Amino acid sequence: MSFPKKPGKALDILKNLPRITLANLRPEPGSFRADKRLGRGQHGGNRSGRGHKGQRQRGNRPRLGFEGGNTPFYLSIPKYGYNEGHSLRPQYQPLSLKRLQYLIDLGRVDPSQPIDLTQLVNGRGITIQPLKRDYGVQLVDEGADRFAAKINIEVQRASEGAIAAIERNGGVITTGFYDPISLGILIKPVPFFLRGQPIPKRMLPGQDMVPFYTDAENRGYLADPEKIQQARLALAQKYGYILPDISKDELYHMLAMRKDVRQIFFGLAPGWVVNMAEKKILKPTDEKLLKYYSS
Amino acid sequence: MAASIVCGRTSMFFRSLNGISGSKTLLSANSQTLLLQTASYNPKPLRLNLREPYIPDSSSEKTPDWQKTPRYDRKLFGRYGSASGIDPASLWPNHEQLERIIEEENEWHPPLEVKLKNLQEKERQVTEKRLAKEKLIAANMAKMPKMIADWREEKRQAKTKMNEEKTRRSKLLAEARESLGQTLDPRNHKFLEMVADLEKEEKKKQKLLKKKQKHEQAAVPPPPPPAAAP
Repeated sequence: MSFPKKPGKALDILKNLPRITLANLRPEPGSFRADKRLGRGQHGGNRSGRGHKGQRQRGNRPRLGFEGGNTPFYLSIPKYGYNEGHSLRPQYQPLSLKRLQYLIDLGRVDPSQPIDLTQLVNGRGITIQPLKRDYGVQLVDEGADRFAAKINIEVQRASEGAIAAIERNGGVITTGFYDPISLGILIKPVPFFLRGQPIPKRMLPGQDMVPFYTDAENRGYLADPEKIQQARLALAQKYGYILPDISKDELYHMLAMRKDVRQIFFGLAPGWVVNMAEKKILKPTDEKLLKYYSS
Repeated sequence: MAASIVCGRTSMFFRSLNGISGSKTLLSANSQTLLLQTASYNPKPLRLNLREPYIPDSSSEKTPDWQKTPRYDRKLFGRYGSASGIDPASLWPNHEQLERIIEEENEWHPPLEVKLKNLQEKERQVTEKRLAKEKLIAANMAKMPKMIADWREEKRQAKTKMNEEKTRRSKLLAEARESLGQTLDPRNHKFLEMVADLEKEEKKKQKLLKKKQKHEQAAVPPPPPPAAAP
């Protein structure tokens, strides 16, 4: 409670004033608004701005959803929990391997560099709307038999067939989580850099998503690398292909590139400021800041 | 109107195509020109007016308030760089703000270990519950054969009892018919009285028999307890 410790002027006045009664009460200034006086002036004998006849004029419209005596639709359809929480469920825009191959073939996505959401969005491969609860992209295995590119890709969800198709071609796939703020930054880097703010830390997934991203079978970014290697071999056996050895690959450096758990962009650490006008990167030097951004 | 827009667009498209083909073309072979195109990401130009930057005067009254905020200062720096005259150190949160940020993060974003621990705990509880249920089911299933046997025994006993009753009843009826005549209605009250009498007598007999048996048992002395070892 905000109560003055020392009795001030206002309290004294309040003590000396008469009791509050109906006689000395009046409405708050601005709370009262005079009714619209209908049927006056030039158009007095007319319809007072309510149109012509009917429920519209008389203001006795039936309630919303009422169907004139029929059992309304909203009551005739039983409700059951299938769609419970549908407005809060995370959405993942689908990206098929067919489309990914198409993007690569057209040169819209460069397979010689690691591919993440920025590349896919810039190549107009997908559209992500974080405000509509999009949490990223899911890789779908449509066109898996035609897929023939060696890539290092980071997505948010991937089907088993899609993982197999990418690894069969000697590629690497990782599933990573981005919180909505990081996602917004990742899909539109330039508007973010123009805001002149330091790149934030990427948040960890919520407790319900932790099992997915710590699972090696999903190639989660929080999983143990050794277990991921085992899962790669197991998947190769399951789908019947020979897993190409990445470590002897000429593109090994590119394929081995992975983001840090807290990193949003490849090559840019959290806490850095990117200035587009001067083409400069500013890094913090304060120890506390460094400690915060590195934790 | 629409046609003109489309024309404009197509001309732009051709221009961009020319630009691309100018930069990335592979020309070859004799009379034929082979055009190998690779479309690539064509970024939107950064329209920054660096020659005449708009930097509002923060001391002037005419400047709107929202242009005097630190957020807007950061934006200015992002747009014009050091030409904006903003101290780059002000882009990062100061110590006070940082402390508040860290506090909030500690409150709302627990580290991964805590989340994993919570998950393990949850899983442990679920398995515990499941195991308890399975144990209960197994125990009940172990009891099942005995329960079925008991139920069968009960059924059998009930059946024998019913048969006995039936035979006794028919015997009584036969006796009564002997004394009261052949055309006897089993609902006749005389007959009912007689049946009751007969039953009473039978009960008495049974009681007597039981008493006698008890008496005999009492008469026979129980076996003496084994002699204590010396």
